[in-house]
Amino acid sequence: MFGGKMITIDIELKDKPGELLKILTPISRHGANVISIIHSREEKRGGKVPVRIVIDVDDKEKLKKILEDLEKEGAIIKKIDGKDKKVYLDVVVIGHVVDTDVRDTIDRINEIGLVEDLDLIMPHPDKESSAMMRIIVDEDKIEELFYLFEELEKEKGLLFIKSIF
Amino acid sequence: MDIIIIGFGAIGKGVAKVLHEKREYLKKNYEEFKVVAITDSSGAAIDEDGLDLLKAIEVKEKTGKIKNYPEKGKEISSIDVIRNVKADVVVEVTPSNLETGEPAKTHILESFRSKKHVVTANKGPLALCYKELIEEAKRYNVIFRHEASVGGAMPIINLAKETLAGNEILSIRGILNGTTNYILTKMEKEGLDFETALKEAKELGIAETDPTQDIEGLDTAAKIVILANSIMGMNKTIKDVKVKGISRITPEALFLANKRGYTIKLIGQIKDKHLIVEPMLVPIDSPLNVKGTLNVAMFETDLAKEIVVVGRGAGPIETASAILSDLIHIYNSMKK
Repeated sequence: MFGGKMITIDIELKDKPGELLKILTPISRHGANVISIIHSREEKRGGKVPVRIVIDVDDKEKLKKILEDLEKEGAIIKKIDGKDKKVYLDVVVIGHVVDTDVRDTIDRINEIGLVEDLDLIMPHPDKESSAMMRIIVDEDKIEELFYLFEELEKEKGLLFIKSIF
Repeated sequence: MDIIIIGFGAIGKGVAKVLHEKREYLKKNYEEFKVVAITDSSGAAIDEDGLDLLKAIEVKEKTGKIKNYPEKGKEISSIDVIRNVKADVVVEVTPSNLETGEPAKTHILESFRSKKHVVTANKGPLALCYKELIEEAKRYNVIFRHEASVGGAMPIINLAKETLAGNEILSIRGILNGTTNYILTKMEKEGLDFETALKEAKELGIAETDPTQDIEGLDTAAKIVILANSIMGMNKTIKDVKVKGISRITPEALFLANKRGYTIKLIGQIKDKHLIVEPMLVPIDSPLNVKGTLNVAMFETDLAKEIVVVGRGAGPIETASAILSDLIHIYNSMKK
């Protein structure tokens, strides 16, 4: 999906003079081109104006930095290319992670999000092991994911330690 | 202002010590804060002209019983002292009981009925029947303060209700138990397992002989119930809290967390009407990452946004600091 691609970013801005200008600066600073801006003041809700920006950006890291900076400037990022914004959730799992069918655990998490990375330490076969996972998940699916954690905790005697955000 | 101290353990003695040390300061800025009675499970020392606080501490430390206070000591129940001794304020500092709230609950209600203001550090009755206590205080037109019940010396309840007045508190999260924070810090720093770190905490007197309430998260749960009710206007009890403790945390889990820029802390939080106590991954650079026995609380408010307080969550003098500020508040209200 990368290599000079147009990305549509849906955000919400405060309805105040200068807000739009503030968010354009980081985009150009990171060397991306703004293709179009739709500023829908007539759709204002709760003092916030929806804005759709289409930019041309050539790599994933740059996009990430732009998104971070947009948030720093006070924009709320709603969607990227029409998809809800993904969040990274780091989780430590303690228990007999491997013996309780780690494949099944990951598969079930992958039905909701995506396990991107797994780091595991088994100190001794009798002792509980610890694993670190990074899960990518849609923001609105987090509750569903937490519910699955509870289910897995009961079923497999695991303990999920979630990151604060 | 005449004060009765109910309960003469570590906290009660801390209050006596602070009132003694601050006597000149109090007289100069307010008036004499006179302790007219001190009780424990053995009986009481009563003197309308004011007890000698250093002597009271000495008697308790030497004999274990306040009723041995020379001449003025006798066998009498705390309830009878509350009913019959003339005073403005009762300081209730008996040990917290998270199952029944007693005997503190009865002491507090009895104080209200005899028209005495109450300051307490006791979590039990607050976590079990907050609403009833507030309504009874209102009914008898007395003041009820409990800053010391959460976070020891750290200003938290009065900070939210008074200093941040006008703000809506949207969420609260924090570390409200020094023992678990000490254990996790120790495990992280030295790679110790949970049992070893706990043993060390016991040897240092940081963990109690029976540390169950701390390590299983119940102490934190009681505190967030108090915060939810007193700051956020909820009507919760300790049974409404989802609780997980720290006894399963491994040094490997801390190692993995560190590798990714996190630490593990026992966090109590109130968010969207949910009360949860569980170990969580906290970013290393987060203001919630406080070490050792320190406590921390972060409020998210509509106007002031995030507010963070850090402080000592336990200790007799630290807790007495919060009790003294409540006593001064009552003094100021009485003078109006």
